[in-house]
Amino acid sequence: MATTVTLPATPYREPSHRYESGVWSWLATTDHKRVGQLYLYTSLFWFLVGGIEAGIIRAQLYGPNEHLVSASTYNELFTMHGTTMIFLVIMPLSAAFFNFLIPLQIGARDVAFPRLNAFSYWVFLFGGLFLNFSWFLHAAPNAGWFGYAPLTTRPYSPGLNIDFWVIGLQILGVSSLAAGFNFITTIINMRAPGMHFMRMPIFSWMAFVTQFLIVLAFPIITVALTFLMLDRFFGTNFYEIQAGADPLLWQHLFWLFGHPEVYILILPAFGLVSEVLPVFSRKPLFGYPVMVYSGILIAFLGFGVWAHHMFAVGMGPIADSFFSITTMLIAIPTGVKIFNWLGTMWGGSLRFTTAMKFAIALVALFTIGGISGVMHSSPPSDLQQTDSYFIVAHFHYVLFGGSMMGLFAGLYFFYPKITGRLMNEKVGSWHFWFTVIGMNLTFFPMHFLGLDGMPRRISTYDAGQGWESNNHLASYGAALIIIGTVFFVYNWFTSMRKGAVAGNDPWGGATLEWTIPSPPPDYNFAKLPLVTSRYPLWDRKSPQMTSEVPHGAQNEQKIDVKIAGKETGTAPAPADTRLNAPNAHPSAKELGIMMPTPTIRPLLAALFLGCVFIGLIAHKNLAIMFIAAALFVVSLYSWLLTPLEPEHH
Amino acid sequence: MIRDLRMRRLTPALALLLAVGLSACNSFAPNTIFGAHSEFGHSVDVLTRRLLYMGIVVFILVETLLVIILVRYREREGNREAKQFHGNSTLEIGWTLIPAVILAFIAVPTIKTIFKTQAKAIPNALQVEVIGHQWWWEFRYPQYGVITANELYLPVGRTANFALTTKDVLHSFWVPQLNGKRDLISNHTNYIWFTPDSAYAWNGFCAEYCGTSHANMHFKVFTVAPSEFEAWVAHQKTNAVGSALPAPAIAQADTGKAGHSPAAAAPAPTPVLNVSDTVSATFPRAKLPEWLIPKTPTPASLTFDQSVTGDATRGATIFKTAPCIACHTVRGVPTAAGIIGPNLTHVGSRTTIAGGLYPNDLRHLQLWIKNAPEMKPGSLMPLFGKNEKGATPGLYTDQQIADIAAYLSSLK
Repeated sequence: MATTVTLPATPYREPSHRYESGVWSWLATTDHKRVGQLYLYTSLFWFLVGGIEAGIIRAQLYGPNEHLVSASTYNELFTMHGTTMIFLVIMPLSAAFFNFLIPLQIGARDVAFPRLNAFSYWVFLFGGLFLNFSWFLHAAPNAGWFGYAPLTTRPYSPGLNIDFWVIGLQILGVSSLAAGFNFITTIINMRAPGMHFMRMPIFSWMAFVTQFLIVLAFPIITVALTFLMLDRFFGTNFYEIQAGADPLLWQHLFWLFGHPEVYILILPAFGLVSEVLPVFSRKPLFGYPVMVYSGILIAFLGFGVWAHHMFAVGMGPIADSFFSITTMLIAIPTGVKIFNWLGTMWGGSLRFTTAMKFAIALVALFTIGGISGVMHSSPPSDLQQTDSYFIVAHFHYVLFGGSMMGLFAGLYFFYPKITGRLMNEKVGSWHFWFTVIGMNLTFFPMHFLGLDGMPRRISTYDAGQGWESNNHLASYGAALIIIGTVFFVYNWFTSMRKGAVAGNDPWGGATLEWTIPSPPPDYNFAKLPLVTSRYPLWDRKSPQMTSEVPHGAQNEQKIDVKIAGKETGTAPAPADTRLNAPNAHPSAKELGIMMPTPTIRPLLAALFLGCVFIGLIAHKNLAIMFIAAALFVVSLYSWLLTPLEPEHH
Repeated sequence: MIRDLRMRRLTPALALLLAVGLSACNSFAPNTIFGAHSEFGHSVDVLTRRLLYMGIVVFILVETLLVIILVRYREREGNREAKQFHGNSTLEIGWTLIPAVILAFIAVPTIKTIFKTQAKAIPNALQVEVIGHQWWWEFRYPQYGVITANELYLPVGRTANFALTTKDVLHSFWVPQLNGKRDLISNHTNYIWFTPDSAYAWNGFCAEYCGTSHANMHFKVFTVAPSEFEAWVAHQKTNAVGSALPAPAIAQADTGKAGHSPAAAAPAPTPVLNVSDTVSATFPRAKLPEWLIPKTPTPASLTFDQSVTGDATRGATIFKTAPCIACHTVRGVPTAAGIIGPNLTHVGSRTTIAGGLYPNDLRHLQLWIKNAPEMKPGSLMPLFGKNEKGATPGLYTDQQIADIAAYLSSLK
C-alpha cells in the first residue's frame, strides 16, 4: 500500500479590501502588467538621474582643466553614470517589456510565478535606492562600473563607496535572477495552444534567450562580488595584492559576466525593433528563423569572447588570438540581423511613426557601434584603442544608439497598449530628432578623441592637446539630448490624459497583444486563443499579407483570436474617461477566470532581504543582519504557504 | 528632386551629421595613435588603417542602402501595398558568408601582428623597468643603475624592452605616438618592447583608471640620438649636485651592471653647491613642443609669498633632516633614502613635476611643496605649508619652502 502524506490544505483567504485600489493595490500587485509599469517608471526615473550625471560630466569636460566638480566627485559621477544606465535603466526597462509584454504575446494570463515577479521588482527598487543612497553620504561608488581589483579592495578604497557598489550590485543580481527563472518557465510552459516556438513573436524569443544569458551570467558576477565582499568585510585574500592575489581573477570573473551582460542589454532592444519594423513596413520580418537562430548563436558565442576586454593585460599571444577570432565570429550573426532588418523594410510601405523612426535609428547607429566593435577585435590595434575615448564612442553607440533607441521604439509602440492612448507624434518627432542629432554630436567626435590619444575616465584634460574642439561638440550634443528627453517626459505624461484613444490595435499589428483592449483587462484574454500562425492578427485582417507564412494544418480554423476579443466587451473602445474604469470590461470573476490574488508578502520579503544588506554595510551589524534574515525566512514561509489563487470549484 | 516635406527636413539633419564628421577631423593631434614612430607603432598602424578603411566602406554601404530604402519605400500613393516576401535563402547565405570572408582578411594579419609584437625582445635590448605608483611613474635602467621618475629617455634606433610592474593598483603604460598600451598588473610583470625611429618628445599617459588622480598621471618620453642617450645616462648615474659624497667618475657607457670607480679628487670637507646648469644631455628646453608643457592651472586658493627668494644652501640644510627624506631619495645625501616617492637626485633637470602635471619651475615647485594634496587631488605627499589645512599639520613657512624649492631646482 502506498504511503502518502497529505498536508492539510492551507485555507484560501480573500485578500484585504485595501488591495483593490489606490497605492496599496500597487504595493500588493501580482499583475504582470502592473509590475511592468512599476519597472518602467522606476527605470525612467533612473534614466533622468543617469542623464544628469552625464550632463555634469560633459559640462566638466567641455573645456580643458575645468573644475566644475572635484576629481573625486567626477570619479563618482562616471562610475554611477555607467552603473545606473546599465543596471538601473537598460536592464529594468527591458524587464518592463518582459513583464508587460511576454504574457500578452504568448497568449497567457500572467507569468508563471506572479509573486516572484513582484518580488523581483521590489528587490530592484531597493537595490537602486541602496546604491544611490551613497550620494547622500558623499560616498558614491568611484572605481568605475567594472570596479577592477585591487583598486576596489579595502587598502585602496577604505571608505563606504565600494561597499555600496558591491552590495548594491548583489541586491540587483537577486532581482535579475528571480526574474530570469520566472520568464523561462513562463515562456516554456504558458504559451497558448498552437503557439509552438517558431510561431512565437520575435520579441518573446529574444527575451527568452536573454533570460538564459541572465541565469548563466549573473551567478558569475555573484561569485566575483562575493569574493570582494568577503575580502572587504571578513578579511579574506581573494584580491588582496599584499597577500599575493592576482588581480586578473577579478577581471576574468567580471568579464565572463560582463560580456554576456552586454548581450543582455541589446537583445531585448533587437527584439523590439524586430516587432516594430514589420508593422510599419507592412510586411513580415525578413528571415524570422535566422533572426531566432542568430539571437541564440550570439548568446552562445557571447560566453566565448570575454577576454577581448583584456587585450592589454598581457595574456599572451595564444589567448589574444583565440579571443580575437571568437570576437570576429560574433560579428557575423550580429551583422546578419542588420541585413535582415534592411530586408524587412525593402519592398515595404514605410510609415514613419515615432516608434518606426527609433527602430530605424537603431539599425543605423548600431551599425556604427558594430563597426568600431570589429575594429576592437584585433588585439594589436586594440592596444591603441582600448581605455581611450574610442572605446567610449563604441559602447555609447551600441548602448545608446542601440539599446536605448530600441527601447524608445518599444515605448512609443506599446504606450497605447499600456495606457490606452496614443503619444503625440509631433512631440515624438521633436524627441526623436533632438535625441538622434544630439547623440551623434556627442559620441561621433569621441572616435576622433580616441584616435587623437585621449584616455578615458579622466576628470580633466590639459589644454593644447588638440582635444578641445571635439570635446566642445560632445558637450553641445549632450545639451541636445537633454532637450530631447524633456520633450519625451512631457509627451509621456500629457498623452496619458490628452492622447487620442488607441483602441485594441492602433498600428495594424500582427500578434496577439493587439487583439485585446488597450489597456488590457487584468486577465488579458477572456478566452485563451488557438494560434495557427506566426502573425495571427494579419491572418484575420489581411490574409493576403501572410499567405506565404506557414500555417497550421487546420486552415479553416485559421484564427480563433477573434473569440478572445469578442468576450472582452461588445462595444468598441470605451469613452476616454472610462479607459481604466472597473466596469470597462467584464471582470475576471464574471468570466469565471481565477487570477492571482494581490499580496504584500513579496514586498515584505524584499524589504527584509534588503535589511540584511543594510546590516552588513552598517559596520557589519550582525544583530541587524540575523534578525533581518530571520524575518526574511518567515516572510518567505508565509508567502509560500499562501495559495496563489482561490481554489477551483 | 527632394520635394517631400519630410525629406526637406531630413537634409539639415544630414548636413549637420556631415559637418560633425568633417569638422571633427583635427589636423592638430600631438598624441595621435597614427604617429607610428616605432616599428611597433608602424605594425599597429597598418592594421588600424586597414580596419578603419574597411569599416568606412561597410558604413557607406549599409547606411546608403538604408537611406535608399527609406526614400524608395516610404508610404505614398501607389505604394500602399507592400511586397509580401519574408525570406530569401540565397541572400541570407550570401550576407553571412561575405562578412566571414571579409573578417578573414582582418584575422590573418591580426594573428601575424600579435605574434610579431609579442615575440621575446632581442637579447641586447635596452632594459627599462616601469614601476607604477599612484599617481606617478618610476623608471629604472637596471643595466646602468639609474633610477628616475616621470621622464623616460630612449635612444633612437635601439630596441627598448619594458618590464612593467606596479607597486599598488593597476595602471597602463601608453605613449600613443610610440606604442600600444600595456597594463601594469599587481603581482605580475608585463613586457612590451619597441624601437623608436625618430628623435623628439612625446606625451605618455596612464590608461587604466587607478583612483583619484588617474587623470594626472602623466610622463614624458624623450627619444634622443644614441650619443645623447649615453650622455644622459652618465649624468643620471652621478650623485646629486653639491652632495657631500664625491660624484663618481663619469664612466664610459657600459652594458653590464652599473659600477663606478672612486673619484679622483678628494672629497671637500663641506658641501660646495654648484648651481649652474651643467647638464649636457637633457632635452633642450628651447626645443620642447608647446603641447608637452603642462598648462594645468594651480588652485586659486593656494597662494605663495611672492616677496621671498629661496636660497639653495639653506634649502639643502633643511632638506637633510626634513620629512622629505622619509619618502624621497637624493643620491649623495645619505639621509635621503626614501623609496615611497620619486627619486629626486636630478629632479632639477626634468621638464615637469608632480607626475607630469605641472611645469618644473620655481613657482610650481614652491606651491607643490606647500600643499601637494591641493595641487594634485588624493596625493599621498603631505602638505608642508604652515598655515595650510589638511590631514597633517604643515611645518614650513613660505621662506623655508622657497629655500627647499631652490635647492631641488639646483639638483640638475
